[in-house]
Amino acid sequence: MATSLAWFSIWPIARTAMLLVFRRKLFWLLFAVAMLSFIFTFGAIYLLATLKQELPQMARFITSMLKDLDGSGTTYLNFMKLQGTVMMILLAFAGSVLAGNDHSRGGFMFYMSRRISLVYYALGKLLAIGLLVLLITTIPALVLFFEYGLLGDMAEYFRENFQIVFGIIGYGLLLSLSIGLLLLALVSWMPRPVPLVILWGGLFVFLPILSSVLAETLRDSEVNLEESSWRLLDLWNNLYIVGSKFFGVELPLFYGAIIVIFTVCLFSITAIFFRLRYLQHQS
Amino acid sequence: MSHLFEIDSLVHRYGSIFALNEVSLSVDQGSIGLVGQNGAGKSTLIKILLGLLKHTNGTVKVFGSDISQHSVGLRGRIGYMPEREGIIPGLNGIEYVGLSGELNGMSRKIALRRAHELLSQLGLDEARYRRLENYSAGMIQRIKLAATLVHDPDLILLDEPTSGLDPDGRAAMLALLKSLAQRPGKSLLFSTHLLGDIEHVCNHAIIMEKGKIAASGALDLMLESQLNTFLIRWKNKNSSSNDVYLAALKQSGAEVSLSEEFGQARVVVTDAWSKQQFFKLAKEAHVTLIGLEPEEIDLRTVYQRVVGYKKNLPPVISLKKPEVSEVNS
Repeated sequence: MATSLAWFSIWPIARTAMLLVFRRKLFWLLFAVAMLSFIFTFGAIYLLATLKQELPQMARFITSMLKDLDGSGTTYLNFMKLQGTVMMILLAFAGSVLAGNDHSRGGFMFYMSRRISLVYYALGKLLAIGLLVLLITTIPALVLFFEYGLLGDMAEYFRENFQIVFGIIGYGLLLSLSIGLLLLALVSWMPRPVPLVILWGGLFVFLPILSSVLAETLRDSEVNLEESSWRLLDLWNNLYIVGSKFFGVELPLFYGAIIVIFTVCLFSITAIFFRLRYLQHQS
Repeated sequence: MSHLFEIDSLVHRYGSIFALNEVSLSVDQGSIGLVGQNGAGKSTLIKILLGLLKHTNGTVKVFGSDISQHSVGLRGRIGYMPEREGIIPGLNGIEYVGLSGELNGMSRKIALRRAHELLSQLGLDEARYRRLENYSAGMIQRIKLAATLVHDPDLILLDEPTSGLDPDGRAAMLALLKSLAQRPGKSLLFSTHLLGDIEHVCNHAIIMEKGKIAASGALDLMLESQLNTFLIRWKNKNSSSNDVYLAALKQSGAEVSLSEEFGQARVVVTDAWSKQQFFKLAKEAHVTLIGLEPEEIDLRTVYQRVVGYKKNLPPVISLKKPEVSEVNS
């Protein structure tokens, strides 16, 4: 009765993980918070488009004040960064549901005793995390991009800014892959929700604060704060730096940020592989 | 035709501890019972047959293919029901069984249809949309069995399938396993501590002891081979004739195990032995034989003989009721 390739089992694993997250009320609460900034930006773009028609001078004034709403790549880059803050909180709580329960409550054995290997399992979980990241960051950003174009001079805007779509997708995939690998690695080693939230908070709250403090206190006086190597401790900022490149914006510490992200991904893959192998043999 | 599974010189170690030590075994299709004490290596053997554990040494072939090279593909032909683990809280019954089918290569539509059929057959049709965390122990065992059967595997591996079930649930599960075991071309291997379960369902038994195979074979043959066992009781006029009688039995080739009660023994004799010999030897030793009955043989008896279980019986704990005065004080 078994027919399809084992690769096709990745989707059911991802779908089930997302289903389990969608069944949590906390997810919908955090999702609603994430959508607040989307709705605000959506409304602001609509208001600007209306003003451009009726009060063009006022619209130009507002656009000059609010750079984040000028429809350029920075608009979407900063929007995605803002969405990412809520996404981090959401993933901290959803991590144990996405994969942690498999280790703490025995679901891992269910998966491993089916016609799949560790690789399919890990890819399924990564896909689930990645899709959640895309749902909160990339898809709303794409909606805003199309809204901006449709409400303004559609043909001209899309012609001049089509590369923004690739930027949004590229930044979204970068976030999905790196955050997904890191979360899966942490969840594999730390499946319980409370330690996971603490560690996740440490990585994305404590480390940025530490990096700012160190950059402020230890940098050379001639070096700009944003160019201090201590800023590389802030993983979220590194993702922003690399993500900016997708929108044609080059920020300081670009190559340093790439090395840090690459190292984190490599470390995560190694940690996932060894931990899952260990759990498979111990279960 | 290849065997269901063939194991040759299998060794599996956890650190310095041998979970399986030089196990060699060939088993044909059928219903196979795996029995042994805790730590005998049953679960380890099952996980190696499933390809979940990489063995330290030796070869394991399932359906003629090396499990270490084709574990993922072979798992598509195997269904495994673990004892305790294997539940995904948050899913309902249909989603859980359907997911199992999809992970074994079925399309979602077919997997769900088959899940509905199975849950109806297993008496879970009313609970199919209930979350698994709200299931009773019996329902959990049945839903795990449904997830094991959904892709119609050729070999079903069950680890303590009746564990945690009440008597009615256990009887129902055994009846179900028996019907599964009778399907042509399908095999079933289940491990349990409950020897009666194996007698009820299986036609082949494997007895494990400290990581080794203590006995393996068709259940009927195993029981038949133990038929030459008698319980004898005698009276004697003096104690020396007692020793003479026992020595005579041993000299004639019988295995004698003295009972704790004086004047009783269990005697295992050869096929050529006739009952008259007991009387003849008793007469020669001036002993009066007052009881001679064949021992009732079941798998428990076979197991106890093979493993020497009686030696390891735990001490009896007296549950004496407290005196009323002590309670009042």
